[in-house]
Amino acid sequence: MSDKDIFSGRLRVLSIVIVLVITVLIARMGYLQVYDGEYYANLADGNRIRLVPSVAPRGTMYDRNGNILVTNHPGFTVSLLPLTEPISEEVIGRLSALLNVPVEEIHNKIAAHIGFDPIRIKTDVGPELTTIIAEQKDLYPGVVVEVLPIRDYIYKNQGAHAYGYVSEISDAELEKKKDEGYKSGDIIGKFGLEKVYDQYLRGTNGGEQVEVDVTGKPVQVLGKKNPIPGNDLHLTIDLEIQAAAEKAIDEQLVQIGAHAAAAVALNPQTGEVLAIVSRPAFDPNLFVNGISSKDWALINNNPYYPMDNKAITGEYPPGSTFKIITGTAALSEGKVTPEEKIFDSGHHWIIPKGNAGGEALGWLNFEEAMAHSDNVYFYEMGNRLGIDQIERYARMFGMGKLTGIDLPYEAEGLVACKAYKKRVFEEDWYLAETFDAAIGQGFNLVTPLQAASIMGEVAANGKRYKPYLVNKIVDVNGNVVKQFQPELLSQLDVEDRFIRLVQAGLHQVTKYGTAAFIFGKDYPVEIAGKTGTAENPHGRDHGWFVAYGPFNNPTIVVAVIVEQGGYGSQSAVPIGKKILDAAFHIPDPAQVAAQAKAKAEAEARARAAATAQVQKKQ
Amino acid sequence: MFFDKKLLRKMDVKLLLAVAAIIIISLIVIGSATHVNTPSEERYWFVQRQGVFALINAGIAIFLMNFDYKMLQRYGHKMYVFNLIMLLAVMFVGQSALGAQRWIQLGPVTLQPSEFSKIIMIVSLASLLQDKIGKLNTLSDLIPVAAYVGVPFVLVMKQPDLGTSLVFMAIFFGMIFACGINLKLLAGIFGTGLACLPLLWHVLKDYQKMRIMVFLDPNVDPLGSGYHIIQSKIAIGSGMLFGKGLFEGTQSQLNFLPENHTDFIFAVVGEEWGFIGTLVLLLLYLVVLWRGIQIARQAQDNFGMLLAVGITSMLAFHVLVNVGMTAGIMPVTGIPLPFMSYGVSALTTNILAITILLNIYLRNQKLQF
Repeated sequence: MSDKDIFSGRLRVLSIVIVLVITVLIARMGYLQVYDGEYYANLADGNRIRLVPSVAPRGTMYDRNGNILVTNHPGFTVSLLPLTEPISEEVIGRLSALLNVPVEEIHNKIAAHIGFDPIRIKTDVGPELTTIIAEQKDLYPGVVVEVLPIRDYIYKNQGAHAYGYVSEISDAELEKKKDEGYKSGDIIGKFGLEKVYDQYLRGTNGGEQVEVDVTGKPVQVLGKKNPIPGNDLHLTIDLEIQAAAEKAIDEQLVQIGAHAAAAVALNPQTGEVLAIVSRPAFDPNLFVNGISSKDWALINNNPYYPMDNKAITGEYPPGSTFKIITGTAALSEGKVTPEEKIFDSGHHWIIPKGNAGGEALGWLNFEEAMAHSDNVYFYEMGNRLGIDQIERYARMFGMGKLTGIDLPYEAEGLVACKAYKKRVFEEDWYLAETFDAAIGQGFNLVTPLQAASIMGEVAANGKRYKPYLVNKIVDVNGNVVKQFQPELLSQLDVEDRFIRLVQAGLHQVTKYGTAAFIFGKDYPVEIAGKTGTAENPHGRDHGWFVAYGPFNNPTIVVAVIVEQGGYGSQSAVPIGKKILDAAFHIPDPAQVAAQAKAKAEAEARARAAATAQVQKKQ
Repeated sequence: MFFDKKLLRKMDVKLLLAVAAIIIISLIVIGSATHVNTPSEERYWFVQRQGVFALINAGIAIFLMNFDYKMLQRYGHKMYVFNLIMLLAVMFVGQSALGAQRWIQLGPVTLQPSEFSKIIMIVSLASLLQDKIGKLNTLSDLIPVAAYVGVPFVLVMKQPDLGTSLVFMAIFFGMIFACGINLKLLAGIFGTGLACLPLLWHVLKDYQKMRIMVFLDPNVDPLGSGYHIIQSKIAIGSGMLFGKGLFEGTQSQLNFLPENHTDFIFAVVGEEWGFIGTLVLLLLYLVVLWRGIQIARQAQDNFGMLLAVGITSMLAFHVLVNVGMTAGIMPVTGIPLPFMSYGVSALTTNILAITILLNIYLRNQKLQF
């Protein structure tokens, strides 16, 4: 068979295929346009098709014990359904008066709206308004009431910085996220976990494609898609500890007249965040339906920045909590033995810097110096180590870099070092600055989360875990979408025996050291701690407290800072203690005393009554 | 004019007229589809741009008629390499839209290299296959050919441009069929292909899976891509026998119908010109495709025959998938309707394809003198 013969056979088949294709298409057109034409012509008449979206509820957030933290409640939303004819001024005026929404705002919403889904005028209105609209239907043509899921932060301010808040998507966000399926008018996570896990939480909106008559009344549902609720987040947060931490901070701020504070509690052996607090806070519920300008002004004009999560974005000098690092470095580098005693005469002999109160503590070994937070001893450690060694250890502990927590806007802090000073001030390093660095002053900056992480490394024998807030993500059917595991970030390059010495020193802090008078002799759990007082050029000193317990098998590490709270032992330690109380289920002694007193009184009364009765009988 | 009248007599007049008619219809329909939703000062921007490019391309086509298409043979493999480079370039410097990287910005023109790569595919595959007529009998005969097409196919798929990669498939199968591939082998390939469909499913992007699911049941996503299909069917159907008249289509004019000047332009024809309009347009396409096959039959060499078959397969597949999509019998794949859909790259490619067909016809006529 020649080439030509092969072709002509095959080409004949191809030409038949082509005729067939065109015939099928023509037949399909005949079916659609001639046979079914009437039906489609009716549908197209003034296009009778409306899209009625149903919004997917966002996923719920649970604490580690399954308690609900953030959920949704059904909220009535008043909307306008675009009809073939424009909505009359009369109706708009009536609606404006009823909902207390300016007429111009309604006009703007109508003008900005494209398509045929409902135009949302006001969300989460009271049932009395929806009743009026339902009863006086004729006065409100085209007005519909939809039930939408409204985000509900049931504990209001509590945990607000961690959970975050949601609000309507902005134009800038929409531009960036169009490809991910976000649409104008969508609710999106703006802050905290709501922002970080928005993709999981948001779910998939559904809706109905409805055929309506000329008055906009639905006649037939052409298509329907059920919304898929967002995935739930199971957090590492412990509601009980979180609540205790918030309460302790609020009470303490009132008591000492301070305004801002932050606290973090972690499990040092996993990195799970048990509580995270920042003060002042805000109520995320305010943002859900668009925050009013009054509420926003209140937040915006607060000089203590309620919207900042100070636990991860606040950068403070670590103060004496830094002595953990200096102490570890000095022991590990062999610059001091645990037995060596150094004499504190009130100030160091090379540079006359001393303790904050000016007191002289005499001969001190390592453990005593740590317990009493003696500055002169640690100036000398700084002197022996030099700034480069201090810097090396600070970085080894994770200072100056992000912890990687799953929250937005984390700050990385700063490690005092020669390179930084050269870069920023173009000056050489001075010994006095090494002294400052050794006790956590000068250039050093940490976030409260980093402070907790550093203390956590001591607690976990040198292991540093990445802090995380979400334990697992679960879909609506209960399937685990994503499970998070502890992530070991680094291991201190320090011999175990030195870490044990540092631990022992920190243990004494609550025994006879700077935190002893708050914890008292009879605290039922062995706690290691460290206080700190960070000099603040802008006002009173910041008070620090970091601690972990139980001493032998730590399950919790806390870091507390009270901005302009003065001495850490007085401002931050009481808060830290109450957080530990909650973690170890230790009842408040004041409460216990009150209860005991009430019980005793009741018994006394009962006895008295019994005696009286006996006397009567006699 | 560097073109004499004698040459015009040797032109495939039927093909030329059919294509010219489709282009004129397209300019009218694009005008109708875009004039409402465009600000008045640039109301006819799309029509003007499409018209200007049609004229420029016609000029280029006349110029190209001076060359013999057989010259292309020599460049087949070089063009193939160039094609790969171009497709790789899209991956690295291309601009993305709707999750796909398909465009390269060159001055005022955004090029869609995958459009041109179809023609290059046809030319290079024709030069590869021309001495393999009747020699594709076993799998080992076919594998090198399949690999040759496979590389650019995967690159296009990666962009991701499912539509164009399917066009590659159509070209490939059209050409190996004409080449006289053993029919048992062909059946085997189709069988294996069908068996592998579930595997392909995992390669598809989420939005592509969605489109296929929507095709099977538009109610899966009535607010998203299902909406396109439903609205497009309403537009076509409501045109009935005679249509609502130019500029009178409510579906197209009121913006119910998305992409109405590009992928869904056929629905505008259906709505405004009715069944009469769609019938005429489809018959015009039949003329074009029929002439394509006839030119293949009369071609003086294997290369010309294969070129003509490749081009006809490409155009036929476009027509089938695009019209089928607007009528709800094919999934939404983003394949434009040749000569009708607005789009400069596609128009250029298609005119170039017709130029090659005319050229094959012309050289064949010359020989017969």
